[in-house]
Amino acid sequence: MGRSRRILIAVSSIVVVVVALIVTARLVGAAPPVTDTYFLMDTVLTVKTSGGDAGAINSRLHELAQEVESLTSYYQEDSDTMRVNNGAGSGPVQVSADYAALLRTVLDVSQLSSGKVDIAISPVSSLWGFTTKQFRVPSADEIQLALSYSQHTQVRLSGQAVSLQDRRARIDLSGIAKGYSLDVMQKYLRTVSPQPRQVIVDFGGNLLLYSAGRKTDWKVGIRDPRGSGIIGYVRSGDAFVATSGDYERYFEQGGKRYCHIIDPATGFPSTANRSVTVITQTGDLAGSVGDALGKAFFCSTADEQQSLFDLVDDRVLGIVVIAADGTERTLGPISLTRTAGT
Amino acid sequence: MKRSDRVTAIIIAVAIILLVSSYALFRRPAGNTAVVSVDGVETARIDLLERTPRTLEVHGTSGVLLLEVPGDGSVRVIQAPCPDQICVHTKAARTAGDTIICVPNRVVIAVIGRGEVPDAVAQ
Repeated sequence: MGRSRRILIAVSSIVVVVVALIVTARLVGAAPPVTDTYFLMDTVLTVKTSGGDAGAINSRLHELAQEVESLTSYYQEDSDTMRVNNGAGSGPVQVSADYAALLRTVLDVSQLSSGKVDIAISPVSSLWGFTTKQFRVPSADEIQLALSYSQHTQVRLSGQAVSLQDRRARIDLSGIAKGYSLDVMQKYLRTVSPQPRQVIVDFGGNLLLYSAGRKTDWKVGIRDPRGSGIIGYVRSGDAFVATSGDYERYFEQGGKRYCHIIDPATGFPSTANRSVTVITQTGDLAGSVGDALGKAFFCSTADEQQSLFDLVDDRVLGIVVIAADGTERTLGPISLTRTAGT
Repeated sequence: MKRSDRVTAIIIAVAIILLVSSYALFRRPAGNTAVVSVDGVETARIDLLERTPRTLEVHGTSGVLLLEVPGDGSVRVIQAPCPDQICVHTKAARTAGDTIICVPNRVVIAVIGRGEVPDAVAQ
């Protein structure tokens, strides 16, 4: 072998190594994503962005969530929710166009699900102490009385004018506001330039998975509602993922668990399921719809879940249910891959 | 084997070793670690491989949380000065991706490390 041939081999080997190093570095994330954590809406917002102007994108996403909070908050002075509630029993209140659109979307889901999700249930939630965190089990009479004015039929929406019929009626959009925030965030992400490579928004466990049309195959862990860690994962492209569960916000009394999601039919915390995860991808306000449907599926039996799913399967990719007895199942073209060892 | 062939063999061997070690180098370090942050700022790291049981205090924005590290590879919150006790209810964090959150104190305990880590956890 000649000297020049040896040099050629040596040089080409070095080139191979350098290329391999660069490829490896890219694969394992040489440009690390920028992760930021914010606290608002009584929960945590974590944003993880790769590519684009990641830091600026994260803070803009936080601002958008703050704007949604000011619009929808049950507690903040001058939020549209507060103004509607203060006007209960007296004439209509003018709300912003965005708020009216959100209200219309959520009321539609209420109707579709025969009232299984209800933004007007909040007087009953308050009886249980979920608005003040002074938990107690109310009497059956108290619940019956409150139920009589705690239904979505109390809400009249005409254009941007909203009224609540009974002066004791109250609406609470806290259960939908995280999903709605993800809608607003997705709308912004679609227009931002330069586009980020990937954005994962985790808003209190509700997710927005965004990869600018890259057809990323996301691996979404499903939280174990009783143990620690996850029970498994599902695969999805870019999507909104909303979960309603009985394992985070609840209180116990006399050995019974009372979770924060009230079944609008009974006025009692729902016991039908441990958790429901809804994956939505397309359609107007898909994040809000997913969040609202999560509550509706959570308060439904297996048969009711199937009928509701048939009504919305054009807007929902799939759902993962962990029923009260711990059995899990999926509806739609998704499958749950169990984690090894669980 | 000729001398030149040996040189070629060595170069190829070195290239393979570099390739393999580069992958190991760029990977995250082995073993699970719990990262504790208060209001988005990291304040402590807990090595979950450590076998000696211990407790530690985390100063949140409105009080002190007591964490238990029993030495079995997990961490949990055993005391917190908040009304809803969500963090105390949360099961011990053990695998990468697990989190324990105390909103009133703005404390997040997140486990990082290797293993089959999902992109995000729906909860």
